[in-house]
Amino acid sequence: MKFRIFPREFRDKCFTASCMFSVCLMVFILVVVLFPMMARGLKAVFFQGTNEFREMQLVVFGHGDAERIQRENGEIEEARAFVYEAANRFRRGIDTEHLADEVRGAYRDYGSYLRAAGISGERYSAQRARAKDLRDALLDAFESRDKEYVQSRLQCVLQSRADPDFGGTPIEAYFETAESYSRIAASVDLSRREQYAEAFGEVREALHKLFGPGPGEPAPALTMDQYGATRWDAVERELHRLLWSEDWVETEPGRPMVKETRARREFFAGTELEPVFDYVETNLEKLFQPRFTFYWRYFMDGSTDGHYFGGCGPEILGTLALTFFSMLFAIPLGIISAAFLVECTGDNIAVRVIRTCINTLAGVPSIVFGLFGMAFFVLFLFPVIGEFGHGTLGIFSAEAADKLTKPNILAASLTLGLLVLPVIIRASEEAIRAVPINYKEAALALGAGQFRSFMTVILPAAAPGIFTGIILSLSRAAGETAPILFTGAIAFGPVPDSILEPTRALSYGSYDIAVGDRLAMLVPHKQYGMVMTLVALVLTLNIIAIWIRSRSSRKLRGL
Amino acid sequence: MHSSRPQEAAGFNRPLLLSPGQDLRGYVFDRLGRSFLFFITFLSVVAVLLIFFFIIREASGFLAGPYVKQFFSSTHWYPESREHPEYGVLAILGGSAYVTLVAMLVAVPVGLFSAVWLSDVASFRVRQIIKPVIEILAAIPSVAFGFFAVLVLAPWMQTRFGFDTGTNILNAGVILAVMALPTIISVAEDSMSAVGMEIREAAYGLGSTRAEAMIRVVIPAAHSGIIAAVILGVMRAVGETMVVWMASGNATQIPSPWWDLSKSVRTMTATIAGDMGETVQGSVHYQALFSIGILLLVFTFGLNLISEHLLARVRRKKEA
Amino acid sequence: MTEYQSQELSLDGADASFLRRPARAVENAARDTTAESGEAGSVIRSKDFTLFYGKTIGVKDITMDIYARTVTAIIGPSGCGKSTFLRSINRMNDLIPNIRTEGFLTVNGQNVYDKRVNLVNLRQQVGMVFQKPNPFAKSIYDNVAYGPRLQGVHSRSELDSIVEECLHSAFLWDEVKDDLRKSALALSGGQQQRLCIARALATQPRALLMDEPCSALDPIATARIEELIAQLRNRYTIVIVTHNMQQAARVSEHTAFFCLGELIEYDLTSRFFTNPSNKQTEDYITGRFG
Repeated sequence: MKFRIFPREFRDKCFTASCMFSVCLMVFILVVVLFPMMARGLKAVFFQGTNEFREMQLVVFGHGDAERIQRENGEIEEARAFVYEAANRFRRGIDTEHLADEVRGAYRDYGSYLRAAGISGERYSAQRARAKDLRDALLDAFESRDKEYVQSRLQCVLQSRADPDFGGTPIEAYFETAESYSRIAASVDLSRREQYAEAFGEVREALHKLFGPGPGEPAPALTMDQYGATRWDAVERELHRLLWSEDWVETEPGRPMVKETRARREFFAGTELEPVFDYVETNLEKLFQPRFTFYWRYFMDGSTDGHYFGGCGPEILGTLALTFFSMLFAIPLGIISAAFLVECTGDNIAVRVIRTCINTLAGVPSIVFGLFGMAFFVLFLFPVIGEFGHGTLGIFSAEAADKLTKPNILAASLTLGLLVLPVIIRASEEAIRAVPINYKEAALALGAGQFRSFMTVILPAAAPGIFTGIILSLSRAAGETAPILFTGAIAFGPVPDSILEPTRALSYGSYDIAVGDRLAMLVPHKQYGMVMTLVALVLTLNIIAIWIRSRSSRKLRGL
Repeated sequence: MHSSRPQEAAGFNRPLLLSPGQDLRGYVFDRLGRSFLFFITFLSVVAVLLIFFFIIREASGFLAGPYVKQFFSSTHWYPESREHPEYGVLAILGGSAYVTLVAMLVAVPVGLFSAVWLSDVASFRVRQIIKPVIEILAAIPSVAFGFFAVLVLAPWMQTRFGFDTGTNILNAGVILAVMALPTIISVAEDSMSAVGMEIREAAYGLGSTRAEAMIRVVIPAAHSGIIAAVILGVMRAVGETMVVWMASGNATQIPSPWWDLSKSVRTMTATIAGDMGETVQGSVHYQALFSIGILLLVFTFGLNLISEHLLARVRRKKEA
Repeated sequence: MTEYQSQELSLDGADASFLRRPARAVENAARDTTAESGEAGSVIRSKDFTLFYGKTIGVKDITMDIYARTVTAIIGPSGCGKSTFLRSINRMNDLIPNIRTEGFLTVNGQNVYDKRVNLVNLRQQVGMVFQKPNPFAKSIYDNVAYGPRLQGVHSRSELDSIVEECLHSAFLWDEVKDDLRKSALALSGGQQQRLCIARALATQPRALLMDEPCSALDPIATARIEELIAQLRNRYTIVIVTHNMQQAARVSEHTAFFCLGELIEYDLTSRFFTNPSNKQTEDYITGRFG
């Protein structure tokens, strides 16, 4: 007996376990999908903002306390001055091309200086020749890798320092250059100049990413380059890039390359740049003055190219507009249809056809709705209406008629409305059917007509159910992307000022920011922020719906 | 007036008959109201007809043109080629079939087991918690799932399994499975609940274990609803756009070897979504995309009729 | 009051014998269906009234008169058509698709199955209380004020006085006067039923149809409803369907016994229970079937 029972019980246990497993898997999936999206998305709103962030907000969006930011920037510039000075000094040592240009320029200036001073003839030639000697000596020094030779050539130049002929002329700059370069040349291994130059380029880039454009540099064209690290996580990332260099090195031929991380501090040991690394690392707080920021304006601000800075205000606005207008169309139609299906008919052929059509409508893929919206509203109906309104009646302006022929909010809303219509009809029908028949009896027995009893008793009793359906379809409309692809959504553009213009939307924006936009890839928190906003919006609506339903079901039970 | 109620209560003071005017007015209003409501409701029918009409109208040039044969026989889809444009839809159909199949392979067992759990295993209290979870899963917008597929799942697959690309059949299929799950679960659970307690009691009374009762009795009895659930899941997976567009890799090919799920494919919906932006209205390519739309429409329409028929059977069972 | 008494006297007196023979009573009535209700004392008359649900018969050849300002009880085993008949009087059966009627059913001399009947006025004047208390999911106040509002009473003070008066009439005022704004669904079953009665009274009905009003209530609540019926009996024509014979005996002046869709016996309550003329009735009231 035991042998017969055992495998059956075992199978039963397995079956139950599989059921448990499936449900747990589903819950797990929900957590896995939602959690990273929400957690990372929240970083777009809650983060440690640096002064760069505050300054960007002030300049680009006009929010913030200008005076305070100015004061902070004063302190921060002071703190950063050390870094820039050291970098400049170091640059003079390695970037000899730049120095040589300066020297050549000074020589040319000297020529015009002499002419302006009225010196000509032989004296002119002599002085120019002497200046030329100095120049060549400097250029030699810049070019050479030999320390001794460099120093000797620089001494050569410095000997002429006392020469009164050069006092107060552009040549005077030569002596300072020579002096600083001799100091640099003493500390830098000149033979490694190319390596330094390359590494210094990386350092400069990292500094740019950290601090934004340095003093005296021209403002970059793209907004994203005009500011340094605006967030503390970005600061840490860029700091790592500043402190450590990463190279792919081939250890053995034929083997995969290995990543090698080296401290730049060691690389630049003994140079003017060496203290910079320690300084930045230890004074990070002073350099950025990070503060915890609740960037609530994320939900209102517009955005710069690629959503690099700013928020998703236009997208939220667009989604709200699309949803609102689609509901304006779908709610009355849906409730009236539901009322008709429940109250006015028995089971005849017309009703069956209508029901089948509603089910068909519910099953049509959303992309086909998009195709239909484009083919019908954008390419057929609206142009005809526009033509009629403009040409025949003269009530539309030519501009409006033109806008009607392009994708716009109205077309997208109507398409979305059509998409959610069956949802609303079904939910409303169910809600109306769920109202106990004795409500209707009571109303009729009190002398209410059919219309009166529907409006005063059945509709209010069905209202929570209908409302739930409406909220669910709201969330559906807010989340759908495919129907608005060709009917009214754009990835970038101004905030529309009428419903005859296309708009940005959270759903299409989420698509675009994830796969369409190269710049957005650099700011993952912005990518996640957008989709978090969409998901939060939709889930909030759903939770409200669930709450209303549970509350009304309790209420109907009289609790 | 109301204070004198008892005295007044003797006779009927309001006429029990309608005056001819009232009668006529009532008749007219009733008719008008009914026709108005009918007209509004009939808009759904009009919408369906318009959808069919306009999709077919835009595609008609293609369907009447020289490319139809190629459309149904070729796997090459090079619509933008200048010299030899090709409009073969087979590879695209294959792509849709691949991701749908993978999605169903995952979603059907998980969905059915979950439905069994919800209808027969879980206590009332736990069910009250799990049901909203399913609803929330159903509510997450498809673009969010696509986002997850591209930015989280794809890199993970690439590093974890060493696939050439993270956006492939497996990725799209798994995500589609998750999206189809709520539909499958709720419809299947409804049909299993509709089977009724008596049959279960009979099965248990004969000494069946739960697994035996479910597999031998309840699930066979609920088979039409379960088939409908699977069909609705297939419809959801075939009709889904954003996820497959973002997660399937969009390479018009039939994977070789055929079982390699790490290859990218391109589905019907993704083709429409991806190509429509690049076409000129009225061009052959444009019409070809609408032809794909017809395929989708006809396919889902057919499945819809079947599922409706099956669900009507479930409903009858529930009422009986 | 006097009118009522005299009527009862006349019923008790010489002419009362026709009650045992409903056919003759209807012959009288049929001679003049539009006769003034006061004349014969009957408000609701039915003659050969038959109602079909599709092809099945609901009630068959019912012929009876219901007298003004009395309580008439209709008893019978379940499924005998007593509720169907009651609901035919104010045409609540219209909610059921595919019904068809034959014969006459008149209220105040007017055939209610006439096509031109003003249903709103009919139902306002023939109120109804249902088996299960069915207050709307509104406040107590709005429940009672529902009918008057339909009739176009919107002034606040007037509504207030109607609500108070009707709640008083239904013996509910003292219990709910402090929270008229509370949801009616929060009341107990008995209170809900009395609220439904108050709601029905608020439309100023002439007759009140009660469809097993106590079947969903406990004995105490039932006692209160019966008390209420006793208070209302001299102001309204009340028809009460009940499955409870003791209740019929307690509250009614006339009792009708329905079986399988037919009227078996209709008589004064006192005679009905003590001296039934029909074998079936006797079997039923002595508990041999039903």
